[in-house]
Formats: sequence, structure tokens, C-alpha cells
Amino acid sequence: MPSHPEGILESSDPTSEENPRTQDHQPDLQKLHIQSSETDSGKASQDSALDNGHDDSGEFVVTMLARSKVEEQGMGTKDASSPLSETGTPLGPPSHRNEDVTADSWRQHRKHVFVLSEAGKPIYSRYGSEEALSSTMGVMMALVSFVQSGDNTIRSVYSDEHTVVFTQRGPLVLVSVSSSRQSEQQLRQELLYVYNQIVSMLTQASITRIFEHKKNYDLRRLLAGSEKILDGLLNLVDSDPSILLSAVHCLPLASSLRDSLSQILQKSITPNLVFSILIAKNQLLTIVQEKTVIEDARLEPSDLHLLLNLIGASSAFQAGEIWTPICLPSFNPDCYFYAYISYLDPPECTVCLVLLSTDKEAFYSVAECKRKIEEAMQTQNALNSIAKAHLYSVSQVGVSDLRHFMYKPFDVPDNHRQLTQFTSPEMEAPYSSEEERMRLLDLYRDMHSRIHSTSRPLKLIYHVAERETLLAWVTSKFELYTCFSPLVTKTCAINAITKLLRWIKKEEDRLFIRYPPKYSTTPNPSKSSKSDAH
Amino acid sequence: MPQATRTKKPDVKVVILGDMNVGKTSLLHRYTERKFKDTISTVGGAFFMKQWGPYNISIWDTAGREQFHGLGSMYCRGAAAVILTYDVTNWQSLAELENRFLSLTDTANADCIFAIVGNKADLTDTRIQGPDTDGEQVDERQPVVTCPTSPAILHKQVSREDAIALYSHVLRYKGLEEKACLPADKMCFETSAKTGYNVDSLFESLFDLVLPSILKKRSEGESSTVDLESPMEVKTNKAGCCS
Repeated sequence: MPSHPEGILESSDPTSEENPRTQDHQPDLQKLHIQSSETDSGKASQDSALDNGHDDSGEFVVTMLARSKVEEQGMGTKDASSPLSETGTPLGPPSHRNEDVTADSWRQHRKHVFVLSEAGKPIYSRYGSEEALSSTMGVMMALVSFVQSGDNTIRSVYSDEHTVVFTQRGPLVLVSVSSSRQSEQQLRQELLYVYNQIVSMLTQASITRIFEHKKNYDLRRLLAGSEKILDGLLNLVDSDPSILLSAVHCLPLASSLRDSLSQILQKSITPNLVFSILIAKNQLLTIVQEKTVIEDARLEPSDLHLLLNLIGASSAFQAGEIWTPICLPSFNPDCYFYAYISYLDPPECTVCLVLLSTDKEAFYSVAECKRKIEEAMQTQNALNSIAKAHLYSVSQVGVSDLRHFMYKPFDVPDNHRQLTQFTSPEMEAPYSSEEERMRLLDLYRDMHSRIHSTSRPLKLIYHVAERETLLAWVTSKFELYTCFSPLVTKTCAINAITKLLRWIKKEEDRLFIRYPPKYSTTPNPSKSSKSDAH
Repeated sequence: MPQATRTKKPDVKVVILGDMNVGKTSLLHRYTERKFKDTISTVGGAFFMKQWGPYNISIWDTAGREQFHGLGSMYCRGAAAVILTYDVTNWQSLAELENRFLSLTDTANADCIFAIVGNKADLTDTRIQGPDTDGEQVDERQPVVTCPTSPAILHKQVSREDAIALYSHVLRYKGLEEKACLPADKMCFETSAKTGYNVDSLFESLFDLVLPSILKKRSEGESSTVDLESPMEVKTNKAGCCS
């Protein structure tokens, strides 16, 4: 058995001859009964884990399973109490590779994420080293293969405090162990982001090829050094609503300024350049794309999030000019683009230019585009204007009692062809501390999960919580989440939303990229002696 | 003045190669910023320009991870000097230079010079652990991750003789006559990016050694500029992933 999971159950070979990948698409609704018979022994193992500090943390999952009911294929209805009445859990300490995985503090992390191979080999853990967790991951793989051996797919495990979500993508198994009370769909979407970030570094084709070649390959060999990128992604997932909303946050900018920036990008092109992206303060300023090569394609928000995270997580990017292969999984999971990344305002490094080419040799000609862009921006003093751009305050809307909102329109012109965006003001008092900000995001996440519930989707939620009142509303034109002071009345909130929608309409040219421009860089042999080879 | 040099054309290209975690970015960072800081694993390659007297030297700091091997030959194309870096406390990192990295230098100039650099010398030698000539105090409170408890001396796995042996392998691989090339003892360095030991001397002697290459290129006139670019232009019609 070449692919035997390390140190765990003997019974089920996780990669027995039938291809487990195909099971992703086979809804199998048989009920499982593994929990009842194991409860007692599971309980016992939990107790022993508490008694014996050196116990292997592999029991973490076993214990959880023992105390839980197992659900498959989305049939379970989550019966969790709403987090709305609770105070938010503060964020754990910054992640540590060498954390003691037997310590209580390790168990108490709000959200663990594990990535392992089908052979049960650890690939990534958000907290603690993968080596120390190899038996924990072995247990996870045992769960996956045990359920698989019954022609089924494990989806999630619920306990009082934790939700464990499993997902398998190709030869990789991803597991989220969360006490954040997020919905299964939300956690699964986050795992998909983690998978896609790995794909963005390796491509799906090469991951598949590697594991076809050698089932027990240690993927960390290829990902070593990338842990911080995954750590950064998971922090982003927890702290930035962009990923929850699957939309991109643009920096508000006078449309005339945004247009002139777009024009600068539009003019500074070279063959095989496909995307030109300008980012400030980790938010999108403008994006210009090649029109013929990718006529019917567009950059997905998730790909842009991965790209932004890659830039944000890599401090080395701040010096010099970077040239690196990157795969955009939603665009094409099997191929690389070549990304040129450079900051335009050293040493502050807040304005970042990203140019994507399909030609891996194009560094010098793409770098030349950057010089043109830099020059043009200098003559227009654009960096100064960008520096002045910032998020807006909710007070600008002029609606008292409105504390915060997130608005995602569906009616942006040409929407089917362009990036999904959302707008949101700065989080101000009482949401200025890290804890409070997290608490508000948790409230939003809960509203979001109820709006998008698969069993009972809702259009409108008016929720009076202890310290605020929230209203979430989805129509064919937009998705809106608002947060009011706790004393607001329903009529008052509805009037406020009318006012807010009017304000957004008035400001939409500033808040959103309305008409993303395009250019044409189709390779043209007659143009080969062009300007950048001076 | 990075701003000023940025607009200039590079006169010569230097590439730093080596396995991951040997300290390539740290070496360059020590040289350009005069500091040692925790760097994170390099993604792809980073391009820097260094003013050296009247010349612009471009330096490619590359990722050591296998993942980025596909771009290795692109970074090396037309290089006048290649810095092959290993970690003195890690024998495997020296072996990898010959196994994985040497072939990437096929696209370098025919007269490319090679330096073999053993970094992290501070970990094996107490004399190097102290503050170096550039007068910067070593931060003793932050020991290097590989020795978290005390500044214990790690076993030196790669001796200078091993490096010199690699140097002659490199020359043999490139089909060069050892006598016609720069002597090994001049081209093998042991450095510490952490303390700064030997770092300036590495880069500066290398820059001095590539000067003839610059002058040769200059005397060949404008065509040299095109040399750098033309191989890339030819390939522009190569279909990308989305064709």
C-alpha cells in the first residue's frame, strides 16, 4: 500500500482504486452512524488527553468527532446559536510555526486550517508545525477515507464549540476547524481560497501531475517559504469582508482621476501584456485588460484577492522589481501568467503596479512599460492625488444612526463583463478596536450566512441585537448590509436605507470602477522593432 | 539614488542563485541596505539596479524554491557574473548548486564569471559573530532561527575545499580551462549576511571583475543594448496560456 496514511487506522486505504475525486459530484445521501457507537470511547480519550499533557493532539479531532454529530452532503441543518448576542472572540496571537500543539492555547485558536495530501501527508497548518501535527492530519485523513470507503463523502462535523469542514480538491484535502460560528458554506469557500492560493503558486495541472507521479510526495518541498502567504490569506479572510462578499473593494477616487490613471495604463503597453493593475493601500485603483486575447474573460474577484494577498504577504516585494510566475485559478487553473510587480512610491510603498504578461521572457519590455507609467504619472502629479485618496466616513452619507454598511451592486454597467465590486465606509467608533471590528464582521457574516442559507434563503433580515441593529437586504440589483445604533426604529432604518441608496447612486462614479478600459496588445510581427528597444 | 538609476540602462547583469534559505536575499539586502532583517521567501525573482562608479549593475535575486525553476534561465540570460550561494551549515545546499542550479547558467554569457559563496559563516565561527568592520552591532536578542536557544556553534558541513572543488566542477561544466580562468581561491567566499562579514568584499570584488565585460560591451557599441533585448523580442509571438 504505497499511499497508506501514516500511523492511523488500518482498515481503509484512502486512495483505493476508485477515484475519490469523482465523488465530489456525487451527492450521496446515506446517513452515517459512526458517532453513536464511539461516543464513550471518544469521551474517554478526551479525558485522557486532558490528564496527559503530552498526549498527541491527534485526539483533538477524534474527541470532537465523538462529541459531535456528523453531517454529510449538506443535509444537516446547523443548529448553532446565533453569535449575535455574544461578544466577539478576540483574535488569537499572531501565528506561530513552532507553537506547542499539545497546549491548550493551540486548541483555543478560533480557526484552524489544515491542508494535507490524500496520502495523509501534512502540507500546511495555520498554527503549529506540520511535523508535530502529522498524526492529527493522519486522523483527518482517516475520517475522510473511512467515509469514502462507504461510498460517501464527509462534509462536516459539528460539535458544541466547533465546526469541522472537509473539502477535497484533486489530491488535496483541506480541513477547517472553527469556533467562529460561520456557516459551512462560508468555511468551505474559505478553504477553496486556500486551495486556490496554492494553485496560484503551483498550478492545478502540476499539483495533479506531481501526485499522479508520486502519491506520497511531500508538497511542502514546493511550498516551503509560502506559508506566510497562506497565513496572510487566512488573516485576510478573517478581517476583510471582500472575500465574504466575493467582491473587490475599490479605493474611492474622483472619476476624472481614475480615468486618467486608466489612460496612462492603456497607453503603456507591450506585446502579450494582458492586465495592468494599479493598487493603493491594498485597494484597487484601476484595472485595464487586453481586449482581444481575453475577450470573453474577465478577472474574477477571487483571483484579484489572491494576487493582492500575494503582494501584501511578501515584504520582499518592496524593493526592486519582481518578475514571477503566477496562476490565476479562476481564470485558468493550469497556466501561469508572469507578473511584474513594483512599487511606484518608494520608500512608502503604498502604490503598487502589477502588470501581467503571458510571455515569460517579457520582463525588460514590461519593465519599460512601468517607466512609461511612472513618467506619465509624474507629469500629472498623480501620486500626490492618489495619496490624498482614502476611504470615506459614514458620516458623509448624512444619515444619523447609520454606523456602517457594505453595498454590493449588481447593476454596474456591463456587469457581466467586469469585476464584482462593493463599497463600504471606514469602520469608525464604536468599531475602531480590533475586537469590535471583528465583532461587527461576525455579525455581518452571520447575516450573510442567513441570507444565503441553502435551506432557507432570505431576502430581508431586520435584526435587533444587544448593541446594534442590523438590516440586510438582497434584491436583483444589490446586496446590502447595514449597521445602525441599537435604538433605531424599523421605519427609521428603512428611511435611512432609502437615503443611503440615493447617496450611493449619486456617488457611484467615485465609489466604483464604472467603465473599465481595455487595450489591445495582440502580438503583431510587423511591430517587432517597437519603441521600447531604444 | 534608486530613483535615478532606475531610468538608466543596465550595463551588466549579475545573478544570485542557490537553494532556498541559504540567504540570497539577505546577502543582497545586507549589501544594499547595510542591514540584516528577516526576509521572507522570495517569489520568482527580484531585479535591482546598483550604481557602481559610472556603471549600472543589474542584480537578479532569484527564488531558491524549485517551484520557480522555470524562470531560472530567463534570469540568467546574458549574465556576466553568477553568484552560486550555499549555506555553510548545510551540505545539501552545496550539492544542489551542482544538481539544480548549474544548468540554469547555460544562458549566461560565454565569458560569465562564477563566484561560490558560503553564507551563514557566523553560525560556525565565533570570530565572525562579533560586530564586523561596518560597525553594526549584532542583535544578540534575536538569534538566528536555526539556533533558537543560545548562539551555539553549528557544525560546519561545507569546508572551503569543498567550495573550491565545486568551482573547478563549474569550470569543467562550462568547458573552461582552469588556468585561463580566475583562480578558485579568489572566487570562493565565505560570508555572513547577518554580521556583514565579507559581504562588501564579495560584491565589490565581483563588480571589479565584471568591469572588463562592461568595457567590452561598450566598445562593441550600441548593438550590445539590442543583444539584451532581441532574444526576448523574437519570442513575443509565442502563444501564451490564454490563446
